[in-house]
Amino acid sequence: MPISKGLTYKKEAKPMKFLKKSKLSKNYDKFGWLFTIPSIVIIGSFVFYPMIQAFITSLKSGMGNNLRFVGIANYARLFTDNIFQKSVVNTLIYLVVQVPIMILLALFISVLLNDKNLKWKAFFRTAIFLPCVTSLVAYSVIFKSLFSNDGLMNKILLNLHLLNTPIEWITSPFWAKITIIIAITWRWTGYNMIFYLAGLQNIDPSIYEAAKIDGATSVKQFFSITVPLLKPIILFTTVMSTTGTLQLFDEVMNITKGGPGNATTTISQYIYNLSFKYTPNFGYAAAVSYTIVIMIVVLSLIQFKVAGDDK
Amino acid sequence: MKTKKLIAIALTVVMTLSIAGCTKKSKESTTTDTTSKKLVIWAWDGTFNVVAAKEAKAIYEKENAGVDVQIVEMAQDDIVQKLNTNLSSNTTEGLPNIVLIEDYRVQNFLTSYPDSFKDMSSKIKAADFMDYKLKSDSSNGKLYGVPFDSGVAALFYRTDLLKQAGYEKSDMENITWEKFIEIGKAVKAKTGKAMLTMDPNDLGILRIMMQSAGQWYVKEDGTTVNLENNEALKEGIKVYKQLMESGIVKQISDWDQFVGAFQKGEVASVPTGCWISSSIIKATDQSGKWAVAAIPKLGAVKSSVNASNIGGASWYVLDKVGDSELASDFLAKTFGTNKDLMNTLADKINLTSTLKASSTTENYQKSVEFYGGQKILQDLSKWTSEIPSVNYGLYTYTIEDILTGTVQSIVKDGADISTALKDAQKQAEAAAIN
Repeated sequence: MPISKGLTYKKEAKPMKFLKKSKLSKNYDKFGWLFTIPSIVIIGSFVFYPMIQAFITSLKSGMGNNLRFVGIANYARLFTDNIFQKSVVNTLIYLVVQVPIMILLALFISVLLNDKNLKWKAFFRTAIFLPCVTSLVAYSVIFKSLFSNDGLMNKILLNLHLLNTPIEWITSPFWAKITIIIAITWRWTGYNMIFYLAGLQNIDPSIYEAAKIDGATSVKQFFSITVPLLKPIILFTTVMSTTGTLQLFDEVMNITKGGPGNATTTISQYIYNLSFKYTPNFGYAAAVSYTIVIMIVVLSLIQFKVAGDDK
Repeated sequence: MKTKKLIAIALTVVMTLSIAGCTKKSKESTTTDTTSKKLVIWAWDGTFNVVAAKEAKAIYEKENAGVDVQIVEMAQDDIVQKLNTNLSSNTTEGLPNIVLIEDYRVQNFLTSYPDSFKDMSSKIKAADFMDYKLKSDSSNGKLYGVPFDSGVAALFYRTDLLKQAGYEKSDMENITWEKFIEIGKAVKAKTGKAMLTMDPNDLGILRIMMQSAGQWYVKEDGTTVNLENNEALKEGIKVYKQLMESGIVKQISDWDQFVGAFQKGEVASVPTGCWISSSIIKATDQSGKWAVAAIPKLGAVKSSVNASNIGGASWYVLDKVGDSELASDFLAKTFGTNKDLMNTLADKINLTSTLKASSTTENYQKSVEFYGGQKILQDLSKWTSEIPSVNYGLYTYTIEDILTGTVQSIVKDGADISTALKDAQKQAEAAAIN
């Protein structure tokens, strides 16, 4: 039958083609695998294996090395743990207040510094970026002494007669949070600014010229041209800032140590306390760390959905 | 372009050399060689514990040639963190032979990592030491720690400022906390100085009040949470609230500010452990202006006495690190029995030792000029023998973190003490289930 003949013909041809293709592709395949196997092994053993181990640990509980399997009891405990709930609330407060302020500030500064006619541009950019390369602990310690009850901040504000009594920057539950937010903003604004500056270079200045001719004010230009065109970069920095803030630890540990009565404790600091300060319960600490994972995944998904639908 | 190339090459060479230098350094310092008789000791506080370790080192090295003792000063939190990390991962690399551990924490370590510490019951005699120390240093009937300093609480105060406010030394003897607040208000009014410093994150003063009445965050068994019906704690929080509302407190947030406050003369008194003396006497311009009185007691609690404890630590040998026999011999011959060492340290750092024999030594009978000629070590020793014995149990820092929130809500938001403590009890019980 003609069909089967055609088939058999094709079948015969296939092995030939197959062989020819496979020799080349086999080579490509072989080298491809050779190049990727080391990185797969390394990522697998240093990232995925610990992740799985951590999850298994989160199903155990006990003091120090006396861990025994308890199933999801650790996760159930999260719902009744007041300190955990407080740390989540604190972390979310930092997230909701600090990230938008910092993104807006970074956008604003980057637009200012993108001005062609501005002198000393390199100096300003370096100066604003420099905080990012400082050691987290070093600048936290300095902030602690600057914002202490008789530190420089209070002295300046008192001398300028903006205050009558010194603000308890670190020993008041409310002001301690503000101090942390100021510290983080100071440090990371420059980092985000650099991303926006890079993005701004890609915007054709003729768009701005056209807008100017049409009579748009700088504010209108900012919101109608700059922000929409920078959307992918803003999304990227927002996701990065969110993940960073959710894992906040160094500033809180060094400036307020968790703040007056757990007022500034973050989830990461709670994990540290559970592992090293209290009777070490590594199982429960692992469970708390998985909540951060879940939060990051959820928030990132939301952010991608809201802002990334251009594709 | 040529210069750029040169600079690039130069930088690469420098970087490679420095990396090579780094690895070389780390190789030299990680081995605790059992053959070359080396001991490593970890301790915190360069003015107190480290000085003591150095004196012990001098004595031991003189008698035992060929032994090299290295003392490493590290913050207490770092020591705890490193111990927990290494012990939980069952590695001994980078661990010291001997480590100083605070009494409040020790039960955690002894229960979490059994077999990691060396049993010292056969090397030192328990009867040589003050009773209250033996409770925290032992586990399952075995003595693991060599008791070191007494954290006996005392009221250090400025006699000149008190005099300005109209109070003599006799007025400060065996007072209650209520009277203390009254005196503080007078001091603030007449001298403008605060009476004491307080750190909202540190409930040390509550610990002093509780132990003065023989109570703690847990009951005698060390595991049952005791917050709700703890009379001493309730009264202590009431006093704490009064202190914060009286305007006689200078708020601080870390150790440096704490020490700076009294060294700069900004507070009139320091009610804390005797180990603060080494920091007080550093302000040499205030010599002769200080005196030491017994710690105030809780007026409303009948079992409260004018003696309590805050802090205090003991030396422990890590069993699986290097030569533990040599390490335990070191401790036994120095902190375990050596009266002369205690005598030297009494003079150098005002150490109130928990070795019973030390109170008979020469320096303990001396009058100290800084404290206006007062024989402070005699007084501190006497108070140490009166400290009510308490089982610190396993959850001190866990419960305290819960309580800082509770106390904040009581002091700042005016929450009802009984309800707040009831809530804290529930939280602590949940956290204590392990």
